[in-house]
Amino acid sequence: MEDNKDIITDEENKYGSKFHERDSLTENNIVKEVRDSFLDYSMSVITARAIPDLRDGLKPVHRRILWSMFEEGNTPEKPHKKSATTVGYVMGHYHPHGDSSIYEAMVRLAQDFNQRYMLVDGHGNFGNIEGDGAAAYRYTEARLAKISLELLRDINKDTVDMMPNFDETSPEPKVLPSRFPNVLVNGSMGIAVGMATNIPPHNLGEVIDGCVAYIDNPDIDTLGLMQHIKGPDFPTGGLLRFHMVLILWILRLRWLNLFIIRLLMVLVIIILI
Amino acid sequence: MNEHYDASDIQVLEGLEAVRKRPGMYIGTTDVKGLHHLVWEIVDNAIDEALAGYCNHIEVIVNKDNSVTVKDNGRGIPVDVHPKTGISTVETVYTVLHAGGKFGGGGYKVSGGLHGVGASVVNALSKWVNVTVYKNSKVYEVKFVDGGKVAQKLTVVGDCEENRTGTTVTFKPDPDIFDTDIYDYDTLMVRIRELAFLNRGLSLTIRDDRDDEDTTGQTFMYEGGISEYVKFINQGKTVIHDDVIHLEGEENDVFFEVAMQYNSSYKENIYSFVNNINTHDGGTHEDGVKRALTRLINNYARKTNMLKEKDEALTGDDVKEGLTMIVSCKHPNPQFEGQTKGRLGNSEVRKLADNVFSEGFERFLLENPECARTIVNKAMAACRGRLAAKRAREMTRKSEMAVTNFFGKLSDCKSKDPKVSEIFIVEGDSAGGSAKKGRDSMTQAILPLRGKILNVEKARLDKALGNEEIRTIITAFGTGIGDEFDLSKLRYDKIIIMTDADVDGSHIRVLLLTLFYRFFRPIVEAGHVYAAQPPLFRIMHGKTRKYVLDEKELNEYLNSLDDKVRSRAEIARMKGLGEMDAEELNETTMDIEKRTLRKITVDDCVAADAIFEKLMGDEVEPRRAFIEENAIFVKNLDI
Repeated sequence: MEDNKDIITDEENKYGSKFHERDSLTENNIVKEVRDSFLDYSMSVITARAIPDLRDGLKPVHRRILWSMFEEGNTPEKPHKKSATTVGYVMGHYHPHGDSSIYEAMVRLAQDFNQRYMLVDGHGNFGNIEGDGAAAYRYTEARLAKISLELLRDINKDTVDMMPNFDETSPEPKVLPSRFPNVLVNGSMGIAVGMATNIPPHNLGEVIDGCVAYIDNPDIDTLGLMQHIKGPDFPTGGLLRFHMVLILWILRLRWLNLFIIRLLMVLVIIILI
Repeated sequence: MNEHYDASDIQVLEGLEAVRKRPGMYIGTTDVKGLHHLVWEIVDNAIDEALAGYCNHIEVIVNKDNSVTVKDNGRGIPVDVHPKTGISTVETVYTVLHAGGKFGGGGYKVSGGLHGVGASVVNALSKWVNVTVYKNSKVYEVKFVDGGKVAQKLTVVGDCEENRTGTTVTFKPDPDIFDTDIYDYDTLMVRIRELAFLNRGLSLTIRDDRDDEDTTGQTFMYEGGISEYVKFINQGKTVIHDDVIHLEGEENDVFFEVAMQYNSSYKENIYSFVNNINTHDGGTHEDGVKRALTRLINNYARKTNMLKEKDEALTGDDVKEGLTMIVSCKHPNPQFEGQTKGRLGNSEVRKLADNVFSEGFERFLLENPECARTIVNKAMAACRGRLAAKRAREMTRKSEMAVTNFFGKLSDCKSKDPKVSEIFIVEGDSAGGSAKKGRDSMTQAILPLRGKILNVEKARLDKALGNEEIRTIITAFGTGIGDEFDLSKLRYDKIIIMTDADVDGSHIRVLLLTLFYRFFRPIVEAGHVYAAQPPLFRIMHGKTRKYVLDEKELNEYLNSLDDKVRSRAEIARMKGLGEMDAEELNETTMDIEKRTLRKITVDDCVAADAIFEKLMGDEVEPRRAFIEENAIFVKNLDI
């Protein structure tokens, strides 16, 4: 009985009127709290999550997947590896987020209806255009696609800056060397906070012709580039509407050099149709 | 035992004597209200002249001895001898009950006074009354004392300009009858202003001679009439459309007008008047307009497809939210109903009001689609609010019945004393597990959230309430929400947001603060919300693990180490609460002796309101502008 009493008194002391005095506090205004927190989040989402880097056209998770597969030696000339291996490697070394977001990103890179040029060569059920998802990562297998080697080529020759990973145990590239302009070739889509991006894919051969033309003539204008790159090239094909052909034709007329006139004619066509 | 009861006991009160014996029957009361009523009886007579179109200026002066002078520039009370009474008409009006020009004889079409008792009642209840009439280039004067006894018969006291007409009445209420004889300036002023609003073009002046500084008085004159009244009421409120809608119509000598404008508040301000008398309880004129308003807005909303087929119709209360409306009716023969005679009963007015309003308002809606949309949106918002509040009430009631089922994943504390209880809202089950293990189960409750909660700024209340996470939070707090919110029922003294120290943690914190600020504002304002501050860095050297809160502490700690040790120390930035053991979490973030909490305070409601709307609201543009503007201030970028 007496023991019991003692405990109660103890509790009373502990949780009595002086309870709050034991707490140390700092104060922050709600406006500042929300502002700063929101800024951290939105800027991080914009710069390092949902919007691709212009230089290699990749979001961080994609870059990390390609880099990890490269590090693992999961290259096209070797047999496919279990997706789980790759997901685990990416998550453990570079991308401290959920496994599903990594796997989903990887699956997208392997889908022929999503990517104009697949960066990952998948084996197994990687889903279809009707909306069926890929099989779980314990079933599917993957390796780098040949074209990805062009993105990664010469990465070990100190071509790009490296940065430490989240626990500072191994380096990862800030950007891939990218022998071809992947942001144009594969395009990109992403919704961040307050801003979003949507870039259509283009034909690799055309883009490279365009690059060559650009190297030959750094002052080349849009019209000149369009001699080589005629328009987007979607993985699922596309339908060129008649008025779009007209517009393109007008845009290509050399003698119509005044931009305003072209614009007007385009507008007229749009209004007519 | 007085059994004597015969003809000698029956009194017949003659003339004004009756008024003095039973003043309540004529002016209602003998207190302040009755005292002021005398002024209105005289002013009403002047206004009636104005309504008939013969008078455009009325002056009310409170004299030093608390007598009141009312001057008008109307036609002047007739001075010729009245055939029925054999005395001058002025004297007749002031001494005989039920003598008046307002019984349809052609003197007045419309009037506030109906019974012809006004002037005579004032006379009966006054110590003295002087009436001066300017008419026929002459000045006539008549004086009464002691409740209507003629002291000076009507006499010509002088000449005046040829065109000058009018009546000036000065009276001193009898202190024997009234409880008080001090006039209140503000009471008079407010009503004078109201009369100026209600009678457009008529100028009214009030002057207080008791106040030596008041030499000019205040003059009220509104060309816009009741439209200006609406503007006046809406002063300082945010109106949602610029123009005041003003509609009027006349039929069979009944004149009807209405002015209205919506503001962004949630209150309705509807005032109705008949012949300048405020009909507190509404009546047919007000009903007609309200009915038409509800019908028209519903029709418009359906026609423009703003209100879908399956949507519930907007109710009268919905369309009245934020509405400022003045309804004014001038009727030659109004019937007042109800206990206080504050309701207009003439049924034909309902039809007139409906017609005038429907026609005009429908045209307004069609001609101003922008305004119309705003108004309909406002009503629909009111409707949503009403339905959501209803649902919220049902939900809180339900949750009280089945409280345990609604707690979801909450691990409550043992203590039932809100003063020492605190709740940790934790991001994810992984952190929830260590928090549960590391807590002091006596005082600390843990509520793990699954991922990111709904942004309540973008979602409607009903959708938010359908969200399981939010429902759990509401039930855990115990306060209820909406109308039934009760701060005293809060089950925890401290609500602690404990999210990971990464950017997603920041996001969840913002989402939670949005929820709290929008649904539990008093909780935030009372300072019950805190943010836990988990350590940002872990330093490992040899077998020791040290956690520090920020970079400053990190440097301090590193400097305190030996050079040798420092070079070998491994520093890691913490990513999630799940990285820590339960004991570590307890020691760094949860133990009341060792932790440091960040208290969330609200200094400026307007600024807080604005920031939530900007950052969490529907509009993307302001958010982007904010990010572009503030990008350089970003502190923790997660790359």
